[in-house]
Amino acid sequence: MNISEPLQIAIEEFSKFPGIGKKTAQRLSLFLLKKPIDEVEKFIGAIYNLKHKLKFCSVCFNITEFEICEICTSPKRDKSILCIVEEPSDIIAIERTNEYNGVYHVLSGVLSPLSGIGPEALKINELLKRLKTQEVSEIILALNPDTEGDATSLYLGKLLQPLNIKVTRIARGLPIGGDLEFADEATIARAVSNRGLL
Amino acid sequence: MVLQSLQLKNYRIHSNSLLTFSDGINFIVGENGQGKTTILEAIYSLCTTKNFKASSDQELLQFSTAECEVTGTFQEYTSDIVRIYYSSTETKRSFLVNGKLIYRPSEVIGKFPIVLLTPEDHQLTQGAPADRRKFVDAILSQSNPLYMETLLDYSKTLKHRSFLLNRMKEDFRSVSPDELEAWNTKMVTAGSSLITYRKKFLTLFNTYLAQAYSAILNDEELPLIEYQTTIANGETGLEEKFSEQLAKRKDEEIRRGTNLVGPHRDDFIFSINGKALKIFGSQGQHKTFQVALRFAQFFYMKDILGRTPIFLLDDAFGELDAKRAAHISNYIRNVGQAFITATDLANLSSFLRSENDKVIEVSSGQVAYA
Ligand SMILES: [Zn+2]
Repeated sequence: MNISEPLQIAIEEFSKFPGIGKKTAQRLSLFLLKKPIDEVEKFIGAIYNLKHKLKFCSVCFNITEFEICEICTSPKRDKSILCIVEEPSDIIAIERTNEYNGVYHVLSGVLSPLSGIGPEALKINELLKRLKTQEVSEIILALNPDTEGDATSLYLGKLLQPLNIKVTRIARGLPIGGDLEFADEATIARAVSNRGLL
Repeated sequence: MVLQSLQLKNYRIHSNSLLTFSDGINFIVGENGQGKTTILEAIYSLCTTKNFKASSDQELLQFSTAECEVTGTFQEYTSDIVRIYYSSTETKRSFLVNGKLIYRPSEVIGKFPIVLLTPEDHQLTQGAPADRRKFVDAILSQSNPLYMETLLDYSKTLKHRSFLLNRMKEDFRSVSPDELEAWNTKMVTAGSSLITYRKKFLTLFNTYLAQAYSAILNDEELPLIEYQTTIANGETGLEEKFSEQLAKRKDEEIRRGTNLVGPHRDDFIFSINGKALKIFGSQGQHKTFQVALRFAQFFYMKDILGRTPIFLLDDAFGELDAKRAAHISNYIRNVGQAFITATDLANLSSFLRSENDKVIEVSSGQVAYA
C-alpha cells in the first residue's frame, strides 16, 4: 500500500481508541486533514491539557487539576461516609443527583480474571491505608450491578468486615426517575423481587 | 401471533420470494436443496435473531451477491414488521423491529415466541447433557427474563472462575483465597437460583409433557423428566450444599483448572414408566418423546407468555409410523399457525385437509401455491 507516512501513523494512533476500527480511523484522520490549522491546533491543545493539567487525586483517585480533588478538600463534605465507585465517570453521575454529601474512593476498575485484573491492580491497598487514618462510619459500595461488579462487592464486603464499619450496597433496581415503561423486563422483575417494606 | 407474510431477498437460493401465509397450517413442499427449509430458517431468525442452521450470516448470502434481506409481518394485537439485513461488504447485520434497530437479542426474546422441531431433535433424547440443558434453558429464557439474566451472569462467572482456577493450577499463590472466595459466592448465588428455577419449571412442565405424549401415542405410557444435579438434592440449604461441594472439590478443580460443580454440569433424565429412556427406550419411544417435548414446549410457552408461538416442523413426518403420524397430524390442529416442510406431499397423507391450509411448492428458490 502507498499511503504517506504521517497519514499512516495518524491512522494507527486513532485505531488504538476503544471502538475505533481501521476504517473509522482513516475517516477521522482525513477529517482532521481537511480542517483549518487553527481548529486542529485547538484540538491538539485539548489533548495536551488533558494529560498535562489533569491528574488523579492522591486521596480518592478522582480526576482533578490539583494534588487533592475539590471533593476531598471541601469542608462541606462529610468525610465519615465513603462511596466506592469503579471509575471517575461514576462520580460525575452521582454528583449530578445532588443527593450525596460524603466522599469517594475510585477503584479504577473491577475484578476480572478474564482480563487479568486481580485485587492488586485496583486501588484496594490504597483504600485500606486510607481507612487507617480517616475516620469512616459508613462505606457505600456503588459498583455496577454486573457480574464483575458483584464479585468485587463481595470481595470488598469480606475484606472490610473485620474493620467494624457499616458497609452498604446501593439498591439494584429501577433507575431513579426512570420510567417503568422504558426499563427492560428483567430490571422490572428484579425490582419487584427485591422490593422493600414501606 | 401469526406471521402474515415473508419476503426473502438474495437469501440462500431465494433471489426474491414473497410469501403470504395461512393462519392455520402451511405445508412447504419441495425436493431437498430447493429452499424449503430456508423459509423456516428465515422465520426462525426473525423471531429469535439467531440462525438455526447457518453458522455465519455470510453463509446465508446467495452466490455472488453482497447483501441479503428478510422481512416478516407479524400480526397479533398490532402489526409488527421485523427485518434482518446483512451486508457482506460491511460484514454487518442489522435487526430491526418496526424500523427500530435492536442491539441485544434479549430485547426481542419472548416477543415473537417460536417452537422448532427438526430432525436434529434426536439429540434431545440421545445426545449429551448439554443438548438437554440447552432445551430447558431456551424455554426458560424465553419465558422468564430474570432466568435469562441469571444464566448470562452465571456463564460469565464460570469463565472468570475457570481463568482463576487455571492461574492457581500454574501458581497456587498467585491468587488470594479471598479472591477465589468472592467468585465462589457469586457462583453459588447465581447457580442456586438457576437450579431452583429449573426444578420449579420441571414440576409444571412434566404435566404438559404427559399430556402431549398421550395425545401422540394414545397409550399407557407416562413420560417424566427428572433433574439430576451435581449439588446434592434437598429443598433446604441449596446454597450451603453448593458451597460445601465447592470446598470438597477445590483441589480437584485447581488440578484440572475447570469448574466441576454447578448447574452447568447438570442433566435432565428422561424416563417412561420409570424406565430410563436412554437405556431402555425403543426407537419409536425416542421419536415420540422428542415430538412430545416440542409440543409440551409449545403449550407451556403459550400459557406462560399468554401469546401463541409459531410452530415450525422441519421434515418431521418422514420417519414416523402411520399411527403416530395420524395422531400428530390431528394434534397439530390445536396449535394455531404452523409451518411444515416435506419432500413429498405423499408424506403428509395423514393430514385431513382443512380449507384454511395452504400448500406452498418450492423449487429452485421459486415459490408457487398449489
Ligand atoms: Zn479526592
